[in-house]
Amino acid sequence: MIIIEELKKSFGPNEILKGVNWKQVRGDLAVIIGPSGCGKSTFLRCLNQLETFDSGKISIDGIVIDHTGQKNSTTEEKKRVLELRRTVGMVFQNFNLFPHMTVLGNIIEGPIQIKKTPKDEAETIAIELLKKVGLQERANFYPSQLSGGQQQRVAIARALAMKPKVMLFDEPTSALDPQLVDEVLYVMKEVAEEGMTMLVVTHEMNFARDVSDQVIFFHSGKIEEFGPPEKIFTEPDSPKTREFLKKHLSSNSKN
Amino acid sequence: MFRSKCFLGVLILFSTLFLTTSYPVYSEEDSLDKIKKEGVVKWGADAESGAPYEFYDPSNPSQLIGFEMDMMDYISKKMGVKHQMVQNEWDALVPGLKRGNFELAMAGIEVTDLRRQEINFTRPYYVYSEQITVRKETNNINKLEDLRGKAVGTQSGTVAMRMLKDLGDVDTRIYSSIVGAYTDLENGRTDAVLLDYPIAVYYGKANKALKFSGDTIGKGYYGIGVRKSDEKLLKKVNEILEEMQKNGELEKIYKKWGIWTEQQKELAGFENIDKPYYKKENTTNSSIASANAAKNMVNNENPVAEIKKKTLEDRFTKDLPILLKGALITVEISLVSMFFAIALGLSLAIVRIYAHPFFQFLATAYIEVFRGTPLLIQLYLIYYGLPEMGIKLNAFTAAILGLALNYAAYEAENYRAGIKSIPKGQMEAATALGMTKFMALRRIIIPQAIKVVIPPVTNDFIALFKDSSVVSVITMVELTKQYNYLASVSYDYIGLGLMTASLYFLMSYPASVFARKIEQKLQT
Repeated sequence: MIIIEELKKSFGPNEILKGVNWKQVRGDLAVIIGPSGCGKSTFLRCLNQLETFDSGKISIDGIVIDHTGQKNSTTEEKKRVLELRRTVGMVFQNFNLFPHMTVLGNIIEGPIQIKKTPKDEAETIAIELLKKVGLQERANFYPSQLSGGQQQRVAIARALAMKPKVMLFDEPTSALDPQLVDEVLYVMKEVAEEGMTMLVVTHEMNFARDVSDQVIFFHSGKIEEFGPPEKIFTEPDSPKTREFLKKHLSSNSKN
Repeated sequence: MFRSKCFLGVLILFSTLFLTTSYPVYSEEDSLDKIKKEGVVKWGADAESGAPYEFYDPSNPSQLIGFEMDMMDYISKKMGVKHQMVQNEWDALVPGLKRGNFELAMAGIEVTDLRRQEINFTRPYYVYSEQITVRKETNNINKLEDLRGKAVGTQSGTVAMRMLKDLGDVDTRIYSSIVGAYTDLENGRTDAVLLDYPIAVYYGKANKALKFSGDTIGKGYYGIGVRKSDEKLLKKVNEILEEMQKNGELEKIYKKWGIWTEQQKELAGFENIDKPYYKKENTTNSSIASANAAKNMVNNENPVAEIKKKTLEDRFTKDLPILLKGALITVEISLVSMFFAIALGLSLAIVRIYAHPFFQFLATAYIEVFRGTPLLIQLYLIYYGLPEMGIKLNAFTAAILGLALNYAAYEAENYRAGIKSIPKGQMEAATALGMTKFMALRRIIIPQAIKVVIPPVTNDFIALFKDSSVVSVITMVELTKQYNYLASVSYDYIGLGLMTASLYFLMSYPASVFARKIEQKLQT
């Protein structure tokens, strides 16, 4: 489903991604953890081309962006990037809802504008999704009238409305009051249980431990170690993983 | 909300604006044929402080009168057509004639060699001299030479102006409005005014604080300007003028307006060919004045020269409707040019932020050039400059184009600031959904940016609204110009000025209230 080969990316002289390889099967949920600045967010953003990468290859649901050899024609690639983005949904740390549209407007915007779904059909889908995230009575509110947790749930519904094959979550709960984190994690869990292929960058270790199929530990631009949560959280191979988890699990329990 | 269609169509619209406008086109056919076909002869003149040539009747300000109006009544009747005066700044009448705004130019235009290089003149229709006007108490200015070392007012582009220049050592003040020259003299800002005798009779002599000083100076001729290509038209007008001079029709008109002199008798003796009728030394250097003739003129009592005080009722019943007509033009110009300024400005802002660096550079260059040069120059270039390159826009189109191109530069910067103020995450969220950059701009970024820029854009609109008065330099008669006309014949600068200012305010204030309402409504 997701195949990443030797992904490299630099910002000026700083190499952020130093050759990342990753494979993920359909329906799996992988959680990416790691210290800040290790490149995990950049990696996620490369997957839907919010960041371009310098070399390597990504293949998601059969859509291939290949920068290993010669650069291909750009118009051809542009088309594929659009296709890729329509296959991959993304949820951001800061929600990024469109403030000039209602909740319903936010959700139907993509299907109507991009997929040319008829309005009534798009609205039916949107109402379904709002029910799923528990906000059907907020359909005609504006984002500024919602709490952070509610906004993030709308953002998830907005991404799902495009019927993506893969969902990316970039620290979806980091900007939330701790009180509001659970309602978002609950919705994510639901989405995962329906068989969505997901990649989640997060600091929520409990979520990683309880829900994920794979945990990826990122360290200075590379995947240091990955494996099922029970292995990573109890007997990781790398001392770097161990050190990170020690710091993080203890700080987590303090909260 | 921003309409996608208008966004798409803007640049296309703008480029076609050049092509779809109807403007006078020079063709092989003589304008005489065109005049007969259309049944109207258009002639250029400047009715602002244009007495006694052509001016708005002070007691009935919607009515044009003047001795040249009477002449055109006769000339057009003989041609079997109607006539229509086209308003044009006096010192731009020759370029106006050349670019085809009208077929004849008649507004006391002196026949000079310089002008004859550009256009043809008919046989002369009036012999004029220059007259010095001073304040009642002034006694030390009696002849041309006395003007040395003094501040002297005159009109831009006149022979009088050249005489002062040739005299040397004169502090010459150039006025585009004749009234201004005489008011400044009355107020002590200048020591004397030197202008053509008929003008002096109407504006100088009518003023109780002023008097004529010395004899009239020099001698020259007024001729009707005709484009060089219009030989048939020239011949026709010459025939009619000759007839008027021989059958006494012209004398009748001049006597009616109090400007008949014995000198005028020589006119009938000219031949109908275009040649320099005046001798240079006559006009510029000597004071071979036809003193007797001049004295006759001075003694002519002139009924129209008496300026009546305006009553409040006059202002509301007669002047207000005319001012409102001007206000309508002002509104039209402002709205249409602001629409294009916003559309073009938005396009420029988008190019400047998102496009290829080369186009970014072009957009930046455009903005800097149009912000960094005066609107007035831009208007002159568009209206008088472009025709040399074969692009002839009518005054309305040129005014809109000038204002829109200029204000677009400012709007572009407003929109750039607006777009930049939208968080980066908005563009990311839109592209992550799979939108193209264009779609994201149209659906997500620009609607939000518009809210941000409402206050500065409203501000600019009000500024443009008032700035639009500058288009009078390219012959648009809008509110301010209309006020100038009315005030210059009635001297009612205060009363009409307050009315005009009130009209501006009454129109701009609702605009700011409206903008505030929209702003509040969008702030959700």
